[in-house]
Amino acid sequence: MARDGTTTTQRDHPGRWPRPLTQRRPAHLALLALLGAGLAVYAWVVAGTAPFTRGALIGVLIPGAVLGTIALVRPPERIPPPDELDMTGMSYWVICLAAFFEWEASAWRDSSWPWHPSFTNLIDPLMEPHLIKSAAILVWLLAGWALVRR
Amino acid sequence: MPPIPTRGITIAGFAVLVAAMVVLEILARRPGSRIPTVGEWLGYLMRPKLGRILVLAGWMWLGWHYFAR
Repeated sequence: MARDGTTTTQRDHPGRWPRPLTQRRPAHLALLALLGAGLAVYAWVVAGTAPFTRGALIGVLIPGAVLGTIALVRPPERIPPPDELDMTGMSYWVICLAAFFEWEASAWRDSSWPWHPSFTNLIDPLMEPHLIKSAAILVWLLAGWALVRR
Repeated sequence: MPPIPTRGITIAGFAVLVAAMVVLEILARRPGSRIPTVGEWLGYLMRPKLGRILVLAGWMWLGWHYFAR
């Protein structure tokens, strides 16, 4: 543990948990809570739109436009990316991702639902409950913000 | 001869691959791990502007694919 309260892992990999604890003012915490509540309400509303409608499309386009604008015009303080990736460590990810996309591509090529369902075919029924779809949209929104910070 | 349960095999394949990626992320978060976390390799890909645009476009596509259609 260094004087500034960070560990070796935190200094070498600034994006990794556990991140150093920072003091936040009550007003900042209140703003974060308000933003979180706003995002949850937004996700709930978008989850209620019917697929293939203008409302559903706009519900996805608005966060994209907002985050795209933030990323271009006023990007937040970014978490520094690593200078290089360990090739052996990265190869595990590449193998998993390649296998996943190959599996998905074969399902799409066969187009033989229900015998060979694609990942989307499996995910769609799981997201039918409004609460689950809202949670998924909220995770998607937070992932977008995390990407802008990277 | 009973038919091959291709649906079960397909689902099992997806489950194994998703589980493998979750395990990789957990392993990556161990101190001193050589495996990069998802955030780290995405951050690395987003170093050039084109990579940033492509990754954000991929995020947008995911939202459109799963929530708008």
